[in-house]
Amino acid sequence: MSCQTLPSEQGAATTCGAATAGSLKVVAFLCNWCSYAGADKAGSNQLPVPPELSVIRVMCSGRVEPPLILEAFRSGADGVMVLACHPGDCHYKEGNLRAFCRAELLQQLVPQLGIDPARFRFDYVSAAEAEKFSRITHEFVEQVRLIKI
Amino acid sequence: MSAPPKTAVILCTCSGIISERINWTEVQALLAGHPSKPQFLVDELACGVDNLDHLTEWLIREKPARVVVAACSPREHETTFRQLLRAAGINPWYLQLVNVREQVAWVTEDPAAATAKAARLLHAALNRVQRHEPLSERSVPVRTDVAVIGSGPAGMQAALTLARAGRQVTLIEKEPVIGGLPVRFEELFPNLECGPCLLEPVMGELLHGHASANVNLLTLAEVTGVTGSFGNWTLSVRRKPRYINPDLCIGCMICAEVCPGRRPNRWNGSGEIAAVAVPFAGTLPNLPHIDAAACLRLNGEECGVCLAECPVEGSLYFADQERDCTIQAGAIIIASGAVEKRELPAAFAGSADVHTAYTFERLLAMNGPSGGELVKADGTVPKSLAIVQCAGSLDSSEADYCSGVCCRAAAKYAHLAAGKAEGISVTRLIREQSFPGVDAGRQFHQDHSTVVRYGAFADLSVTGSDAGREIAISGGAPVPADMIVLCRPVIPGDGTAACAALLELDRDEAGFIAPLHSLSGSCEAALKGIYLAGSCRGPGDIRDAFATGTAAAGLALSDLVVGRDLVIDPQVAVVDAATCAGCKTCVQLCPYKAISWNATDKVAEISDMLCRGCGVCVAACPSGAITGRGFSREMLRAELEGVLS
Repeated sequence: MSCQTLPSEQGAATTCGAATAGSLKVVAFLCNWCSYAGADKAGSNQLPVPPELSVIRVMCSGRVEPPLILEAFRSGADGVMVLACHPGDCHYKEGNLRAFCRAELLQQLVPQLGIDPARFRFDYVSAAEAEKFSRITHEFVEQVRLIKI
Repeated sequence: MSAPPKTAVILCTCSGIISERINWTEVQALLAGHPSKPQFLVDELACGVDNLDHLTEWLIREKPARVVVAACSPREHETTFRQLLRAAGINPWYLQLVNVREQVAWVTEDPAAATAKAARLLHAALNRVQRHEPLSERSVPVRTDVAVIGSGPAGMQAALTLARAGRQVTLIEKEPVIGGLPVRFEELFPNLECGPCLLEPVMGELLHGHASANVNLLTLAEVTGVTGSFGNWTLSVRRKPRYINPDLCIGCMICAEVCPGRRPNRWNGSGEIAAVAVPFAGTLPNLPHIDAAACLRLNGEECGVCLAECPVEGSLYFADQERDCTIQAGAIIIASGAVEKRELPAAFAGSADVHTAYTFERLLAMNGPSGGELVKADGTVPKSLAIVQCAGSLDSSEADYCSGVCCRAAAKYAHLAAGKAEGISVTRLIREQSFPGVDAGRQFHQDHSTVVRYGAFADLSVTGSDAGREIAISGGAPVPADMIVLCRPVIPGDGTAACAALLELDRDEAGFIAPLHSLSGSCEAALKGIYLAGSCRGPGDIRDAFATGTAAAGLALSDLVVGRDLVIDPQVAVVDAATCAGCKTCVQLCPYKAISWNATDKVAEISDMLCRGCGVCVAACPSGAITGRGFSREMLRAELEGVLS
């Protein structure tokens, strides 16, 4: 069977052997400078991160447009996280605030699309907050798991 | 659909650290069916020098069109592997790095789960890398000369540092003289050094030293417009007429002695000076200037007293005109400074012998209105001096913040007043006080003034008159106040506001120019190629001014190197003019002012020299007309589909 993914509107996506069938799918968009660095630090500190979590690195949380998050849900994500620099710490001055505003709107929008808003989470993780990254990713994955059951 | 480009995948074991958790053989089996038909190579330590040589040979032999590397964080080795591709003759932006060390092997205890996750992320990377576009760094020549706005200590230090390094500097000063504020102060805190004595050699070097040929000083000049960007700025400068020919005038000041015209002495904040004069003795450049509003001759009257007495014919040049000129520069250093808030609250306004810190400094100065004598307006020596600190600072109705210099200035005033007026009683009225640093600590311990704490500036009132005058404090004993000094808030001056407006720079809540970063980038603006020195950044002392002047010059020197072109990171945002709807949403959003509006074609345009690649505009564009190179919609969607498949 081909490994190529078909657009979801054409039917259920075919999967290649790389995917773990039936497991939880959680996507996290991480900004390069704070939250991705925090995730790296979790690695350096050997702190556990849920294997269900797939990180997509962007330079700034402000790069993540709401349609991308909606597409993630449409393509089968059980949960989507956007993690940003703390307010005032954005490497690009204020991209995290743009991301925050978009997240606020999304929280209101997703229930209208039949998506439980608890499946979306926006939060701040600094480059030093390895423990927080480990903790909130576990919390979120467990929360999403409960919703899926 | 055409066959996907040939893709090479390098799987690093990181000396066994990665392969301890991730089974690369199993990953290869899981990905074998990927349409890109990846070719795998497991390497023990891909970043190792010898290993990189072998990998280069392998890539040259295999000639892949795309490369995926599964190793450590891109924050650590993305540059290394881009170089690998470059060495193998492959465009470096055809690389996708998968972080399987920090974000898989080290955080996933179960090897089966780690292997599955690595395969999933690699699958996504294989999808993504097919969408990569070849990019190339663009080089543009940059000017290495610098324009410095403001010739206080910060601006002079920046200009001198650059001039000593052989850079051409244009120093733009709106006053007829250079030196800024402290050249007008007799003594400087915390060590009571003589201000003019400290600054005279600096000004001398600037005007006549070895490097002075590299400095083009423009006095009575103001910047009226700025265009361009980092490396290529064009400044429009308006020069007011001095009515003095600097090439002929010998600075004897006979004209000032005989001139019958009079104007208020704004440099002293009191008294008058002649229409042709210098603001105070010892100014540099040693040239008088004429105030056109006060000069009788320039106002149509039959006056030629100065002309008759001037020993060098042609020095007085009444035909002088306002001139506009253009300055080219690679970088701009703003050193436009701060001022004290001059307006006084009603409780103090209009009373005799109420000084601000600035007018009191002038009163103490040998070249000030009283020749350095501490005297009241009526010529008598004050019996008591009340110095009100925090007079508007730390106060939400005026300036929310601490002005940072008043405590040390006030202790200096107390010390100098005691030396100048024997038996004077000095009281410092404080809300809070701070004497940071070792030498200021000494100043604090040696201060003999009475210190009285008060609650709110608005609650202070003045009662009585002359020697019996007092400042009443609600809930406390009155303070004798024959003479009063108010340490008013330090605020950005008109020059700082004008610079910020011209360059569309962000300002902080107090109006000072916002730095790139409050801690790690405090001497540069968010706009690339604009550096900040001195108290345009916020209240500061002369030590800050010299230090930040040096720092700003250092940044300009390291960013604009002679013979080195500016290399522009290609991972910027670009607008597709055919798709752009002209809504201008992005123009407002860009934190770096990199997006401008092309009114002719009615589209947004992004300067790759100013764009820092955050992608905020990419996400915001309702038409999808902006592509974030390296992080395009297609790339992120391909990656997303990959992790969810």
